[in-house]
Amino acid sequence: MIDNHPIMPPAEGTKPLDLMIAVMALLAGLALGASLIADRVATNWQSGLSGKLTVQILPPAQGTADDGLKLETEAALKVLRATPGIARARALSMREQASLVSPWLGQDDIAAELPLPQLIDADVVPGKSVDTAELKRRLKAVVPDALLDDHAGWMERLRDVTGGVIWSAYGILLLIAVATAAAVSFATKARLDAHRDMVELLHLMGAQSAFIARIFEWQYARAAALAAAAGTLAAALFFIAIGGMDSVGIEAVPFLPPLGLSPVDFMFFPAIPLSAGLIGLVTARLSVWSAVSKIY
Amino acid sequence: MVRFENVGMRYGSGPEVLRDVNFVLEPGSFTFLTGLSGAGKTTLLKLIYLAEPPSRGLITLFEYDLAVAKRSDFPALRRRIGVVFQDFRLLDHLSVFDNVALPLKIAGSRTADFTEDVRELLGWVGLGDRLQAKPPTLSGGEQQRVAIARAVVARPDLLIADEPTGNVDPEIGTRILRLFNELNRFGTTVLIATHDRALVESTEADEMRLVEGRLVQLRKGRRPA
Ligand SMILES: Nc1ncnc2c1ncn2[C@@H]1O[C@H](COP(=O)(O)OP(=O)(O)OP(=O)(O)O)[C@@H](O)[C@H]1O
Ligand SMILES: [Mg+2]
Repeated sequence: MIDNHPIMPPAEGTKPLDLMIAVMALLAGLALGASLIADRVATNWQSGLSGKLTVQILPPAQGTADDGLKLETEAALKVLRATPGIARARALSMREQASLVSPWLGQDDIAAELPLPQLIDADVVPGKSVDTAELKRRLKAVVPDALLDDHAGWMERLRDVTGGVIWSAYGILLLIAVATAAAVSFATKARLDAHRDMVELLHLMGAQSAFIARIFEWQYARAAALAAAAGTLAAALFFIAIGGMDSVGIEAVPFLPPLGLSPVDFMFFPAIPLSAGLIGLVTARLSVWSAVSKIY
Repeated sequence: MVRFENVGMRYGSGPEVLRDVNFVLEPGSFTFLTGLSGAGKTTLLKLIYLAEPPSRGLITLFEYDLAVAKRSDFPALRRRIGVVFQDFRLLDHLSVFDNVALPLKIAGSRTADFTEDVRELLGWVGLGDRLQAKPPTLSGGEQQRVAIARAVVARPDLLIADEPTGNVDPEIGTRILRLFNELNRFGTTVLIATHDRALVESTEADEMRLVEGRLVQLRKGRRPA
């Protein structure tokens, strides 16, 4: 190996470039963390609802309502429990049903006096699916007033919304990644521009482009990687701090699941400085080649 | 070694700086290139050391027809040429020693193998005690001698020097000329561009004279002693 090191010029006046890369890496780190959180939150929403079926049994319009409803409920439970793929089925108690409607009707006993439909909650065995058309037919056979709700419509809309959230998050991440890559590439070009004379001289002295590129590329790759590492570290610390807030019980935003990142999530972060280094390396090499090919 | 046939040169869309230039540099020859300032001396040298392509005409270098030679052959051709640039082009962040050692590093030599040669050469040009100095701390004449040492250190087949004695006193000038003669005796073809009539008259080397872009006068001198 030839030691190129002594040929390498000192990196002077590149602090603003390093700062620019660090700031872009910080934004990229924040976008990355936000995407991971959005992905997880959306997945939690979906898995919370999928795997559930609800059966409503409407009370008869008049007459001895209670008895009929109870018998019909028993019959429906029997059908559900005999259905392959259903793990569990349970009729909600009057009290539970009352609490469901209380937001609209208040805490009074009005609820108890209204002819509320009986609700049955059923859980699907995870990973299995239930033939809802067949189940509907069999329920109607024993209980004509039964309504089966598999949340399909609601699930579909939820999937649209969460899909939108996830794709927006990844789209923003991608845009910021592109901007960061552009910043690294710009910084590397600017660093090299300061040494254009040296590149030309080495070229005229018969140095191969690879020899010239080697002098610069590792130094510039390292500079970009270090600057990006500083920014990424700041982003990671931000998410660690947010995770800490969750664990002491301060909810950053009500109704949202915890915002911290898991250790696995943090394993994506080194990708930012590594990519920055790689882009610095490749840009340095390409810039040397293009500068040299313009000379003759 | 070098052959120009009807070579013309213009920068961009500017006027023709060189017109219908024809000459041959025989291997082992020693030639001065003279002419007034702006006559096109540096331009002609640039065409030889592959800094610019000619606008027209045919250049043959080391038996390579440059019009058909592959670009990938150029670095090897360039390494056979030592150049003293008119503006020196030293690397300011490198020491005198490292500047002079640059061609050897480019050729792939190890530092340990050439340290003594470089020291000796710098001693010869009177810079034996400035090995670790940086070029900006040197006088113009000292910088010129570093540039000359760098051009000759790898014992090139062809040495091109653009005003190599422009900044030195006559004594050092004579010393530099002796260095070139020495190199020439060992087989290096030498081409020196200069204004310095005294330098040209002091030897009986060949002379080519450029007048407004044309090579008008070719003096065939005797080989220098
Ligand atoms: N890079 C360039 N672009 C445009 N014109 C140039 C360039 N270099 C030289 N010229 C022009 O070409 C002409 C010849 O220049 P050149 O440098 O070859 O002259 P010279 O004989 O070396 O002069 P000097 O003795 O002053 O060094 C001049 O008119 C100059 O203005
Ligand atoms: Mg000149």
